Amino acid sequence: MTAEHPALSLRGLAKQFDGKVAVAGVDLDVPAGSFYGLLGPNGAGKTTTLSMAVGLLRPDAGGALVLGHDVWSDPVRAKQLLGVMPDGVRLFDRLSGAELLAYHGLLRGMDPAVVDQRAAELLDVLALGDAGRTLVVDYSAGMKKKIGLACALLHGPRLLVLDEPFEAVDPVSAALIRDILHRYVTGGGTVVFSSHVMEVVERLCSHVAILAAGTIKRVGPIDEVRGGRSLEQVFVEVVGGRTATGEELAWLSQ
Amino acid sequence: MAVAVTGPTLSAPPARPVSARHFVRLKLRVMGNNFRGQGWRVALFVGGAVAGLWFAGTGFFLFAAPGLADEGRYALMVAAFGGGLTVLGWLLLPLVFFGVDETLDPARFALLPLSRRTLVTGLFAAALVSVPTITVLLALCGLVVTAGSLGGWSAAAVAFVGVVGGLLLCVAAARAVTSAFATALRSRRVRDLAAVLLAVLAALLGPLQLLGIAALSDADWDRLQGVAEVVGWTPFGAAWTAGIDVAEGRVWAAPVKLLITAATIVALLAWWSRSLESAMVGAASAGPARVQRGTTGGAVTQLFPRVLGWARRDRFGALVAREARYWWRDARRRANLITVAVVGLFVPVMVNLGGSGFTIDSAEGFTASPASSPGLSSLSMLFVGLLAAVTLANQFGFDGSAYAANVVAGVSGQQELRARMAAFSLYVLPMLVVISAVVAVVIGEPGWIGLMAGTLLATYGAGLAVNCFVSVLGAYSLPETSNPFALNSGAGIAKSFLTLLAMLATAVAAVPMVVATALLGDVWLWLALPVGAAYGLGAALLGAYLAGDVLDRRMPELLSTVTPRR
Repeated sequence: MTAEHPALSLRGLAKQFDGKVAVAGVDLDVPAGSFYGLLGPNGAGKTTTLSMAVGLLRPDAGGALVLGHDVWSDPVRAKQLLGVMPDGVRLFDRLSGAELLAYHGLLRGMDPAVVDQRAAELLDVLALGDAGRTLVVDYSAGMKKKIGLACALLHGPRLLVLDEPFEAVDPVSAALIRDILHRYVTGGGTVVFSSHVMEVVERLCSHVAILAAGTIKRVGPIDEVRGGRSLEQVFVEVVGGRTATGEELAWLSQ
Repeated sequence: MAVAVTGPTLSAPPARPVSARHFVRLKLRVMGNNFRGQGWRVALFVGGAVAGLWFAGTGFFLFAAPGLADEGRYALMVAAFGGGLTVLGWLLLPLVFFGVDETLDPARFALLPLSRRTLVTGLFAAALVSVPTITVLLALCGLVVTAGSLGGWSAAAVAFVGVVGGLLLCVAAARAVTSAFATALRSRRVRDLAAVLLAVLAALLGPLQLLGIAALSDADWDRLQGVAEVVGWTPFGAAWTAGIDVAEGRVWAAPVKLLITAATIVALLAWWSRSLESAMVGAASAGPARVQRGTTGGAVTQLFPRVLGWARRDRFGALVAREARYWWRDARRRANLITVAVVGLFVPVMVNLGGSGFTIDSAEGFTASPASSPGLSSLSMLFVGLLAAVTLANQFGFDGSAYAANVVAGVSGQQELRARMAAFSLYVLPMLVVISAVVAVVIGEPGWIGLMAGTLLATYGAGLAVNCFVSVLGAYSLPETSNPFALNSGAGIAKSFLTLLAMLATAVAAVPMVVATALLGDVWLWLALPVGAAYGLGAALLGAYLAGDVLDRRMPELLSTVTPRR
């Protein structure tokens, strides 16, 4: 159908905050059907890039296309194809899990009967059914991630953009989320997610991009980027980190 | 860069005690950092400071007038009533309109090894550093001039000590009351108590107004003098009248009054420190989460409150349902609703009855005919409409970053604004009808109910339209604390400016209703309701249409302004 278009295509995205460059021209093509990991240290511009890609933050320059539809000039069509789980953004957390799902579903213009059915299934699979009418604000961090994922998945998007989906999630929930995402990609969907957990990225992704200081340093299929080494080695080499401390913190050992 | 430390210091005891100075410096630093790179914030701050200075100057001459004009007999009254009003305003205004500056959020200090005494004195000292405190200090120094010109240097010195003490009392009272009130509102069961508390506070406006009108009437001078003397012995007036007492020869009274003030300050600080502790603990854990079971129906059925059973299960319906739930479940929004209900009921009753109180005082008998006129009633209804609508002035700020969900879903601006108005009106419209009915009955003119409801609806609708624009263009982020009165530093002045601006614009938009009341006479008593309702509805829809267009173009910008900076 739209096979000729990449699922997500970023062209020269750039953003400054108060004169500080956060993202300095990012070009990225995410092939349809791929499982794409966006890697980078803290402050590399991952969240800023993804926010601009999904229409939450207006870029200073550049543009973003979702399956060929421009996020900024044709937002309605682009946003229909898109499911987003932002990081560091609150949900409407004074609703219960079921209420929140119903809200997101109706907001996406879905049929109420379909919303009911999918919401019940998602709550069941994500083990959130036991929470009943507990408000999302009272959920644990892992439960919040899961309900956020459910909201992004509910309307059956073609492209899923997830910011730090495995942050603050316990191993059991993480395994569940991995499983669901895997199934989604097998079924023809595309996932883009940011992370700085190497193991998860190595295990899941077909493609990776390493972002540091607002620009893309390495990009491509994961085996190409790794080149026979571990992803962590490549990452540390690209980002350029300091590994050991010397004399400075002597007072830590009493 | 980190400070270089020489030698191992891990086991060494903390060398320097923390004093109030550190808190003041911290507050100034935070304020300064907030201005960095935000030109409009600096401009707002300067504007606020200039306005404060103007108020200070006016107040100063008001308080100094008895001394400058050498009219000794007014001195006590000016000090007792003016000072008392200052304390009361300091107490009530944060609750009703402006909120408390939480530049230094107590919860941030929860993990630091500070004693409660250090914390309270530090936060208190930091609270003193603000534009309003300086304004009030300057204004009330007029009392020092009065005392000095009537009683010489010693009286002036005592008056100055009194003014400083009174100012400390004002700040302590505001902090203690809002802190206690916030704690009460947070535990959801006590919210009814909170409503009663606000009602009592608002009811205090009534007697004060009676006093003001009586003072103008010049009818019962001696009685007023007596009241002033009594007020002078309460914490409200003790600090301000001490200097006047010295000037008028009652030297023994001054130390007693200063003692009353000091004792009140200590008591208030003790109260504050108690509620402060629970505020700090509350930030760490909001208590055990209650697991409520027993869900009935599907997800969609659960989202819609029962009163919205008729609503269509579509995008607009979902927006209205979510907003309706939020007005009740979000403590910050609920506090606003309660304020509108209580103030909206009490102020018109007091204004309209205040007029009748005046007639009872000066006229010959206790005739039941109130002095209230259709014009006065319209004006009081105008105020209620303003107050109700201005609650929406920062409606997106209530949502904070959660608004991202609507941006991602691509909700159109017009739909967004119309849904928000509809949900808020679900609560407010019944309230407005009740208010106009109660006021009409209380003042003994049931026939005016149409006039009142009409004016109210027209003002409310016009206010919604104005506040649509304010909420899209002038949104600001609210801190993510559980204190419903908390404001970000710097936002206090911005908020009061925007509030005043929105109220002014609304009042202008609603003026035709008052003019019609004055010109059209009895016909208008019947026409007011349909005309007012149509006017209000039309204005609100037009506002949503125009402001929705603006919102469509700047959704991401709005999202970033309401997202709290971390």
